[in-house]
Amino acid sequence: MSQTAAQRFLQDAAVKSADLMHREIIRRGMESYDVAHLKGRARIKDWEAAREKCQEIKREAINHLDRYLLQFEEKVIARGGHVFWAANSEEACTYVKNLATRLGVRTVVKSKSMVTEEIQLSPVLEKAGIKVWETDLGEFIVQLREEPPYHIVTPAMHLNRGQIAKLFREKLDPGIESDDPADLMAAARRILRQAFFAAEMGISGANFLVADAGVIAISTNEGNGRLCTSVPRIHVVVSGIEKVIPRLEDLAVLWPVLATSGTGQGITTYGTLIGGPRRPGEVDGAEEFHVVLVDNGRSQLLADAEQREVLHCIRCGACLNICPVFRHVGGHTYGTTYPGPIGSVLTPHLNGIKEFKHLSYASSLCGACSSVCPVKIDLAHHLLQNRRNATEAGATKESERLIFRVWRYAMLRPRMYALGGWLVRKALRIIYGLGLAGSILDPMRVWNRYRSPVPLPSESFRARWRKGLDAN
Amino acid sequence: MQTKEAQTKEAQTGNPSRDRILERIRAGLRTVVPEPAALRSGPVIFEPINNPLERFQQECIGNLMECALTADSATSARQLSKVLQSLPEGETFVQDDPALRRLIEQAAPARPIRWSSQGAPGEASQATVTLAEALIAQTGSILVTSACGGRGASVIAPCHIVYATVAQLVPDLATALSRVSQERKLDSNSFACVISGSSRTADIEKILVQGAHGPRRLVVILQAAT
Amino acid sequence: MDQLLPEVAVDTVKVLRRIGCAVEFPEDQTCCGQPALNTGYWGDARPCAEHFVRVFKNADFVVCPSGSCVSVIRLFYPELLAHSLLREDAAALASRTFEFSEFLVKVAAVTQVGATFPHSVTYHASCHGLRELKLRDEPLQLLRQVDGLKLIEMVRSEECCGFGGTFAVKFADISAAMGTSKAESVAATGAEFVTATDPSCLMHLQGILGKRDATTRTIYLASILAQDGLAQKSSAQERP
Repeated sequence: MSQTAAQRFLQDAAVKSADLMHREIIRRGMESYDVAHLKGRARIKDWEAAREKCQEIKREAINHLDRYLLQFEEKVIARGGHVFWAANSEEACTYVKNLATRLGVRTVVKSKSMVTEEIQLSPVLEKAGIKVWETDLGEFIVQLREEPPYHIVTPAMHLNRGQIAKLFREKLDPGIESDDPADLMAAARRILRQAFFAAEMGISGANFLVADAGVIAISTNEGNGRLCTSVPRIHVVVSGIEKVIPRLEDLAVLWPVLATSGTGQGITTYGTLIGGPRRPGEVDGAEEFHVVLVDNGRSQLLADAEQREVLHCIRCGACLNICPVFRHVGGHTYGTTYPGPIGSVLTPHLNGIKEFKHLSYASSLCGACSSVCPVKIDLAHHLLQNRRNATEAGATKESERLIFRVWRYAMLRPRMYALGGWLVRKALRIIYGLGLAGSILDPMRVWNRYRSPVPLPSESFRARWRKGLDAN
Repeated sequence: MQTKEAQTKEAQTGNPSRDRILERIRAGLRTVVPEPAALRSGPVIFEPINNPLERFQQECIGNLMECALTADSATSARQLSKVLQSLPEGETFVQDDPALRRLIEQAAPARPIRWSSQGAPGEASQATVTLAEALIAQTGSILVTSACGGRGASVIAPCHIVYATVAQLVPDLATALSRVSQERKLDSNSFACVISGSSRTADIEKILVQGAHGPRRLVVILQAAT
Repeated sequence: MDQLLPEVAVDTVKVLRRIGCAVEFPEDQTCCGQPALNTGYWGDARPCAEHFVRVFKNADFVVCPSGSCVSVIRLFYPELLAHSLLREDAAALASRTFEFSEFLVKVAAVTQVGATFPHSVTYHASCHGLRELKLRDEPLQLLRQVDGLKLIEMVRSEECCGFGGTFAVKFADISAAMGTSKAESVAATGAEFVTATDPSCLMHLQGILGKRDATTRTIYLASILAQDGLAQKSSAQERP
């Protein structure tokens, strides 16, 4: 029997919430991020001003999305590049697959791109007989484990070195003895080197599409993205349409902010700008350059006056890192391409509110996400709006709607409210008095599963007030 | 070379979704989203940089880059020799530029040189030597383009050596990017890169490992005078 | 709070009177509407909010010892009641509604309320008060003036305790896990008491701490400030 996404989520959340080893690994990872992040922020004189500037840049880009996309396209085409607009995952994957098969591609090297996860590109290429190598170390690791990335910036943060060494021994080379991260990296480098030089096609994402210069901007640390976009003769970029920014100079603040929020660095090691295939006279570079612009539900979000700003997201991962829910259940539990607060807000728009509204409810609305977002997306508020949208779309349980109708009735009638409260306390006192706390008869049994019962006062405040509170 | 109209037409006919997506975008944008209050006027986001050279050197340390300040080309040549000697035997790939021709001649390294005019660097290269378009003090970065020996020159070999002068130093990213725009560097080059350190990863247990797929060493030979 | 945590309200009134305020309790009040608002039933929250606005229309100040309720009134009533006939009254009310510690420090300009509480206390920065009302310092300023109180800082004091309203029941496992992490931070301080600006956080924490047989007890901020050293008995929550 198939489960709904919500049921699966609850199940996985229950397992992960109790998994103390998992919690410890995540806690350590996030702690090191917290330290680095604060150091990174201290390098920026006015962090709030930086956030406002980034918000302003993305707002301008999104509010004139058609203009900037066309400007970008024109420049790329003028340089001999190709731009393909894909309405959905299927169109994007078909384009890349057809291109690859037409050009006789047998091997692809890929640098990290969340949108390629979203459209599920690798399975399509593999089905067509093309070998796809993830070259970002974290992605390489989860690809070997045949699982999705755990986090949008650090895909393998849920694993320790021992697990990775064992994985490498099993899947790559039984001779790998050490579990030292440097040695594991060296092993990955050795193996991927061959892939870089054998591959006919390199696929990358783009952190930004720069409209006035007509270039893509990619921020990486490892150099795998550089190799994917330098060595193979075909370079394909897959990017969501919302990645556009108006000017090259906008990177002067976006690059440091992205790095600070993503990893705590002042700037990512390689800020690469590519505008087309190699020019005549250049030493190297791809002979063909294709940019696939993916819509897949994004243009719909433009029409939503409240939530259009969700398209400002620069995929830094800061909201994931600070979210206490993420820290306790981890990235895989969400069951979506994008986990964490941004995932919870965005997924109902991309994949349907009926199936994914539960993610917007799986939050204590603490607001930490909104407070760290470098482009000032009010994520917590959007979670609340998604909840409202879910009830208005009739997507919530009938029993719950009924409960709130009754609740409303009572809240508008003070005496009924007071009587209701008295009855509840009375009933609970009887149930607890009979030692039935936590049993099926206990209406607070879910609460009492993890907590000692709430002590019951003998009378309400209003009763005491009426009796006359001592004015001392 | 196709005209702009012809290029766009080609883009349109092979790609029916293009028009549909543009139409959806335009329709979506017809919803008016209220603009917030105006920003505070021009707050200073980054600390102004008073001593670019000092800042650049500081940042290099933080970025795990090596920066050797030299007085003249003779010292630079000696520095280059020293670095190359510390590397395993093998070929050195060098950007084919008069300044580097002179430097190599002065340094006279006892190892084979592959010039960029002979083709891209490969796995045989133990080091690459290139010029830079600019150095950026704010982030301790070097700015390279395809003109600096190609795309691979700054990433393929385990050691990348940059030969630059103090005159090439600009204070911040804003200045560097503005210059790239003004000089239309991205029209004459298909590639540019702002490099701020040796390649690295922290994907395993968030522990920093230097030398992932790119160079483990990034050395800047920074000459005071031209 | 009226029904389950009356002590918070009793102690709030006590402190307000002590600093010279005349306190009224309009008996027609019920609820600010937060449960319905947060669960997405804005259609049910709306009439509740309107009732609230009517009840408190003539108050000079509305003080509430719960950061989350106040943030609903200040930050969400404008949106919720945007098309209501009472929207202007709601806006006016919002500007006069304060969380308890906020009122003391920012409106009454008082940090010394004559309280005595010779115990070690650690402070949990409740989310709504912290992020929506921007209450970072006010509760601490008040605690520092309490005679004999030893304030111990906890790590990750700003991380959510995991209550989250219906979240505590709908996503009970996650809520409990978050609560346990917070309980661990509390325990690490060795403090006798933990306090916060939101009674629901403390209610949740008390349950978690109780289940772990922890020695730290929860106490409402208002209850600490109400201790004037005259009566020896503490109004801290007794364990059942």
